Amino acid sequence: MSDQLIVIGTYVISYAAILGYAAHLHLRRRRAQD
Amino acid sequence: MKRVQILLATSAAAVAAGLWLAFTSPTDALQGEFSRILNLHAPFMWVAFLAFGLTALASIIWLFTKTPRWDRLGEASAELGVLFTVLGLFTGMVWGQAVWGRAWDWGDARMASTAVMLFVYIGYLALRRATPDPEMRARRSAILGAIAVVQVPLVYFSVYMFRTLHQTPSIRPDGASMPSEMLVALLVNFAAFTYLFVALLFARLEVARAEERLAADGALAGDSVKPPRLSEVKDV
Repeated sequence: MSDQLIVIGTYVISYAAILGYAAHLHLRRRRAQD
Repeated sequence: MKRVQILLATSAAAVAAGLWLAFTSPTDALQGEFSRILNLHAPFMWVAFLAFGLTALASIIWLFTKTPRWDRLGEASAELGVLFTVLGLFTGMVWGQAVWGRAWDWGDARMASTAVMLFVYIGYLALRRATPDPEMRARRSAILGAIAVVQVPLVYFSVYMFRTLHQTPSIRPDGASMPSEMLVALLVNFAAFTYLFVALLFARLEVARAEERLAADGALAGDSVKPPRLSEVKDV
């Protein structure tokens, strides 16, 4: 695997984890407010 | 648009700017492309330290004031600290595998102390889940949150105390050991992820408030009445 692909993959996984956490917060807030 | 949504949208723009700088700045002569990972790793660990410091501050204030908002802040900040520690370890392991040839080494002071710090804060979140009474939960977690923060300076200074694998910081008071383009990219990412942390913290606090309101609305008359302890009843 090329170096660049590993670096891009690391960025994608890190951002996806943060985005996933933000989505989880959004769903929890909506469930609590409905 | 609500305040939290504005914060999240603007912090996403700041992170995008950091991403652009991270991939347009020059790479390190020895590390090559892998030096770009440090634009994530160092800010993630800084945010984790900030989050655990804030948990300690909120915990201490709660112990003095007993105000629920400080308990909520302590929990929200610890949760984010755990998330960013996991991401900091993950990015560090990818970088370590590529540059050192080792993803993990229990003999390294920085790695081992960071892992212990992560486990303690996962324990903090578990303790909260295991204590149903809000007052007792707040007290127990405030005591742990105030004590657990001693690990932050231990993790930070571990690279000075023990000469193991992990290097000392590249940005020091006497200057930075990198060209200005790389330094700008790193500093922008530090600022962007700190801002993102603040945005996520407000979003998490909003969830905590909404869930507390829901729990209060769902309480039924008589919920607080506890059954008598039969062992204490003498006059039957």
